[in-house]
Amino acid sequence: MPGVQPSRVTVREQPGLRPAPGGGRGAGKQVRAAATSNELWLAIHLPHYVLESLRRSTAAAQPVAGHDSGTAIVAVDLEGGGKVVCAGDAAAVAAGVTRGMALNSALALLPGLNVLARDAQAERALLEAVATRAIGFTPRVVLEPPDAVLLEVRGSLRLFGGVRRFIAQVRERLQSMGVAPLLALTPTPLASLWFARMGEEVALRSRDGLASRLARLPLACARWPEKRLESLAAMGVRTIGDCLKLPRDGFARRFAPQMLRALDRATGCAPDPRVAFVPRQRYSVRRDLEPEISDTERLGRAAGPLVDELCSFLDLRCCGVNVLDFSLLHRDVPPTRVCLRFAEPTAQAGRIAELLRERLARTELPGPVRALRLRSGPFMVANQQAGDLFARARGRTTSVPQLVERLRARLGTDAVYGIQAVPEHRPESAWEKGDILLFQEKGDILLFHGPTRSGDGKGECPPFPGKGECPLFPRPLWLLAEPQPLEGEEHPRHEGRLEFEEGPERIESGWWDGRDVRRDYYVARTTGGMRLWVFRERCAEGRWFLHGVFG
Amino acid sequence: MSSIDDLLRHPGLWRAREQGGATSQPAGRPTGYAALDRCLPGGGWPAQGLIEILTDRHGVGELSLLMPALAALSHEDHGDHGEGWLACVAPPYQPYAPALVACGIDVRRLLLVQAQPAEWAMEQALRSGACSAVLGWAEFRNRQGLRRLQLATEQSRCMAVLFRRLADGNEPSPAVLRIALESSRKGLVVHIVKSRGGQAATVQLGWLDPAAHAVAH
Repeated sequence: MPGVQPSRVTVREQPGLRPAPGGGRGAGKQVRAAATSNELWLAIHLPHYVLESLRRSTAAAQPVAGHDSGTAIVAVDLEGGGKVVCAGDAAAVAAGVTRGMALNSALALLPGLNVLARDAQAERALLEAVATRAIGFTPRVVLEPPDAVLLEVRGSLRLFGGVRRFIAQVRERLQSMGVAPLLALTPTPLASLWFARMGEEVALRSRDGLASRLARLPLACARWPEKRLESLAAMGVRTIGDCLKLPRDGFARRFAPQMLRALDRATGCAPDPRVAFVPRQRYSVRRDLEPEISDTERLGRAAGPLVDELCSFLDLRCCGVNVLDFSLLHRDVPPTRVCLRFAEPTAQAGRIAELLRERLARTELPGPVRALRLRSGPFMVANQQAGDLFARARGRTTSVPQLVERLRARLGTDAVYGIQAVPEHRPESAWEKGDILLFQEKGDILLFHGPTRSGDGKGECPPFPGKGECPLFPRPLWLLAEPQPLEGEEHPRHEGRLEFEEGPERIESGWWDGRDVRRDYYVARTTGGMRLWVFRERCAEGRWFLHGVFG
Repeated sequence: MSSIDDLLRHPGLWRAREQGGATSQPAGRPTGYAALDRCLPGGGWPAQGLIEILTDRHGVGELSLLMPALAALSHEDHGDHGEGWLACVAPPYQPYAPALVACGIDVRRLLLVQAQPAEWAMEQALRSGACSAVLGWAEFRNRQGLRRLQLATEQSRCMAVLFRRLADGNEPSPAVLRIALESSRKGLVVHIVKSRGGQAATVQLGWLDPAAHAVAH
């Protein structure tokens, strides 16, 4: 097993040195194979993260000082005064612009330089986006701000077809996001990081040669404080290898114990616990539009990449969203909000885009849109179903929830509903409206299996329509929203004199909740052949009402 | 032998020759009223295409006429005809759940849509393929909308019923079946005005009792 080499272990107590107890003379001498696990760490280093994050957050360059004619781009840190170049693209570098150069010098070299302001938020967002993509490869992902992400990949190599293919796939996935990463794979996170920072794209699977490969790296890879590096350089120590040759106790005393610990961790002599990256529970992304968009159709197309990104994000986590909140930001007026609600958690880009188009088509924009912001509601476990092998042959394309949400998007939420029967004597209370999809889930529903008046058990049926039973007496298929008064004293009239077919059915109920009902119901027929459900109030007046139509 | 028959009836077993469209002309869906079935080609409501019911008043039995077929669709399991969902678009009154239950309709899968005009919602419901039956109450002023609806029904295997006024019966229509309802002293009279593959006829149905037919199922 690589990494566990008892023959090379020498133990000598060495107070004050943690976490590697004891050691030989050299600061980095193999003291104990502390991390005996078989971890393999892939470091993703983003050397151009400053510009990449800017490119990602803005559709085009946003000039700060009006220098927008040139092709070369540099970024400056506005918090640091904006005087110093902190990153430049290839064209700028080719012209001799370097990191740390004064902006004025850079402008002297390249008068048409495009100067952008650094955006710390966008940089963090880029790192998180990379980490979120990386979760598709392994569950153990660690952020290494500001410019790196670490992946523990031992368990994933076989799935992705070996080290080489794995790295190729990671690279491809990241390049599709528009970043150019440097990748290095070693058994320890720190060593991977150092190699990647130095641009050495190694793939070391065993711990054996790790120390010797590390030895060649310049000390700059460790990003120790500038002062320490200077004093080390004054001692003639320029590489990691030089450092490892120094006596451990002296090194720790003279410099910081953290530096010794870093060396131990890089060589795998000390454990290197890391806090795993947890992706956000909501998704929020903003994209600036350049040029501004004022027609909704193009806006829908511009939102496409955002939706795609959201959906691949959701897919990785087997989640869906119920609510999506699009904000269309204008220059002077408050943003227009477009809120999409789905009948069930969804992660299908096509479905979201279709609903968005439908909504945008009915949205009036108060002005051109300069930026799009997409915020998701909380993630839900998506109801992912296996596709039907023969779905196409049967002509089934949309599920009911999708139909419901499409209808609701145009007609409003209240326009689409379901009904259910309620065990109740009073006709108007014997049913209720509700959300059609909730009825589906509840399952506690009246089902037809009871006797009807035409069944054999005539006269034996319980008078109360209990759960799962149907009323003994006929009920009309249409019910009027409000009983409609009818003319006539002793005999009701509706388009002529009504003829009684059945009745009376006496319903007296509800004295306890203030909606007292005391009625005699009849089935009546008009001269025109309509069958109506009428009742007479059981009181002194005894007025007649029409309550339903048999349809 | 019987065990093989049992096996062939198993819903999990799929037979290649039954793939959609391979079967011959689909038979009609029984209406639940034998007298009417005899007059319709295929022995029932056409399985595909638009059905128009022309009536000027509600309450003559226009819904009862459909109830047995809808109840059968509502319980027909699943997948083949869109999971048994029924959609009612722009109904003139509130459908009453206890009565529907008594007719054997699974009201859990009844989708009510208030839409004016009803055409768009009906077309969406038909094209979605999620419904087994779509009922709509609409006044079609333009023939193009009607044509679109007919096209949508031809592409789905959904039962599509459109209620229109008697006066609209004078206009041509792409519907597969058109029937006009008339109420008389003896009950409902159904005039088959147009029937693709069949012929015009008049059927005396008497007073309909959908709940009784539901029991017969």
